[in-house]
Amino acid sequence: MQRVDNWVTRFEEGVLAFLLAAMTIVSFTQVVARYGFNSGWTGALEFTRILFAWLILFGMSYGVKIGSHLGVDAVIRLFPKPVFRAVAVFGALCGVVYALTLLWSEWLHIFGLDTRGGAIDYWSKMYKIGIGLDDLRYPDAIIETFGTKERVQRWIAYLILPIGLFLFMFRCIQAAWQIITGEREMMIAAHEAEDLVAENKDVLKD
Amino acid sequence: MEAAILFILVLGFLFLGVPISISLGLSSVLAIAIFSNDSISSVALQLFTASQNYTLLAIPFFILASAFMSTGGVAKRIIRFSIASVGAIRGGLAIAGVFACMLFAALSGSSPATVVAIGTIAIAGMRQAGYTKEFAAGVIANAGTLGILIPPSIVMVVYAAATNVSVGRMFLAGVVPGLIAGLMLMIAIYVMARVKNLPAQPWPGFKEIWHAMMEAAVGLFLMVIILGGIYGGIFTPTEAAAVAAVYACLVALFVYRDMGPLSGIRWVQEEDGPLGLAGFKTITYGFTAMFAWSGIAGMVTDRQGFFGIDSAIVLLAALIGYPLLRGRVSPAELPSIYGVGAKIWGRNIGLIIWKFLPAMFHKDTKKVMVDAAKTTIMLMFIIVNALLFAHVLTSERIPQAITDWMVGAGFNWFTFLIAVNLLLLLGGQFMEPSGLLLIVAPVVFPIGMELGVDPVHLGIIMVVNMEIGMITPPIGLNLFVTSGITGMSLVQVVKAAAPFVLILLMFLILVTYVPALSTWLPYSLMGPEIITNR
Repeated sequence: MQRVDNWVTRFEEGVLAFLLAAMTIVSFTQVVARYGFNSGWTGALEFTRILFAWLILFGMSYGVKIGSHLGVDAVIRLFPKPVFRAVAVFGALCGVVYALTLLWSEWLHIFGLDTRGGAIDYWSKMYKIGIGLDDLRYPDAIIETFGTKERVQRWIAYLILPIGLFLFMFRCIQAAWQIITGEREMMIAAHEAEDLVAENKDVLKD
Repeated sequence: MEAAILFILVLGFLFLGVPISISLGLSSVLAIAIFSNDSISSVALQLFTASQNYTLLAIPFFILASAFMSTGGVAKRIIRFSIASVGAIRGGLAIAGVFACMLFAALSGSSPATVVAIGTIAIAGMRQAGYTKEFAAGVIANAGTLGILIPPSIVMVVYAAATNVSVGRMFLAGVVPGLIAGLMLMIAIYVMARVKNLPAQPWPGFKEIWHAMMEAAVGLFLMVIILGGIYGGIFTPTEAAAVAAVYACLVALFVYRDMGPLSGIRWVQEEDGPLGLAGFKTITYGFTAMFAWSGIAGMVTDRQGFFGIDSAIVLLAALIGYPLLRGRVSPAELPSIYGVGAKIWGRNIGLIIWKFLPAMFHKDTKKVMVDAAKTTIMLMFIIVNALLFAHVLTSERIPQAITDWMVGAGFNWFTFLIAVNLLLLLGGQFMEPSGLLLIVAPVVFPIGMELGVDPVHLGIIMVVNMEIGMITPPIGLNLFVTSGITGMSLVQVVKAAAPFVLILLMFLILVTYVPALSTWLPYSLMGPEIITNR
């Protein structure tokens, strides 16, 4: 189980590093192409933006896993231990409600709310219509060999929306369970630089 | 009514330890589900489209550049340069600490990173020189906040994205206030040093200053790329950020070599001898002088090509003049030092080409990428949800209601700015700066425009408020960081930082009521800001 876990972490970190690197390289080469060769790739900006969206939406679940999402812990730390734990579980469950509502809002019907739509609904609509993105085109070779349409379909770019939200929900459920079993204290990081401080803890202490 | 419920929901979630991003996002989603007939599909889609904002695209690149610049060696070089240049003044080490924080802030947009990078070295140095730990910690905790005021600054990018003000003007607007804030801290330290009779460092001589500056210059050139590129119209701010990230990566891996496969391999080896060093310096300074000259000449005159005949003259003059005047080389030795210098350069270029791909896939590089990605995600997820929240606020016409009320209540720009300062100082105690800015800006910006406040000036006021929020309890990021690295308790750090916080509060009043401090530089260089978003 530990090995699978390590493998998953390495996969997640690899994907995140790749997305960030790809964004940077594409943007940089665009500048070089414009000044050096007076040319450019029309799809570059749209491609970078999609990578950026993928970075955020794929990464948000990783953020839950490593506990890097910021929150305020000053108040709940004043509560007695059992209450603190219950509130911490509540925090994680809020994440579940958030993701589930955005994925498939019709579950709120049990509270008598008249909601509709959600990421899954939207994505399947896009899949059925099959319209393409504004600028991003398939290379000619792919169009010829696979007989695809000229533009990359929107549903491919939007695929991360249901996947990211689903992973986010999964990680929140996992976090809630870990808090219940006592493996983890809470879901949030109290401040942005927790890792940085932990690395340099007391380096200047006498 | 709906507005009240919305704010109560957010604050309730926030204080119950729900992550800030989810507090904002969940409240917005619930508000839409309960009060409006909009489909949740469009809300979900907003998570995707929020990141399509071109201005916000600069954030991951700035974070990446700052991550590469925070890998150790840059901070050391900046501190060496700072101590060499201002250390000889009374209280010099503390003044140098402030100066180092200012320079580092120009490379990295992050305050905690500045405190850790500069603080770990500078506080130890000050302790050895006989300063008290409290004084040292107080200085660095405060000077570290300049990170978000001196460009490039992520908070400014966020403000620009929220209000459609130009990023370039915001960056330039931060320069003068950043210098003034630094100067005010330095003067305060100098006065304290006089009173407490704190030590001064020995005068290091111009040679040490020059050497230290040359070493730091490669890193500090990043600032020239960003500000020069944006102001010169060469790139958009987003492109400048991407170029800066690539530059920072190359400098960290191949020039400073603090990380990656080349770490520990020096440009000039021991066995090259003094002649080799002179030759290497001759060639390096010669070509640097040529590029600098051509760049300046290209800006001043309107010639077509980058190089002219004058570039060649500068190159020749430097190649012959430097070794004869500075390198203690006789004219007969000139050819041989060119040979050795070229050999050293050839060896290093060969090494860089040979190790280029291994360096790109080295574990150190990957670690920096993953760290930058983590920070980006944490920040952007808050921003995305704050945008969602701001969208709900606007669609409920809450900003208009508040504007009408405030204008009706007889606020003028003077009292309005007091109200903004109080609101932000209070909010800054509990919220992450970027998130707070995105929530407050849509409400405050239209009122400011109505009352005739300059958009760039308003932005700088907000940034200075965020700065002060970082060093005031209960939730001050720089206090946590300083307390973490020094092992002092939070209360001790708060006490240590307090005298300098008073100075920053004075600075806030100055910035608030002297708009020219913020607006003079950007408007004289780039023309006035056109308000597009009322």
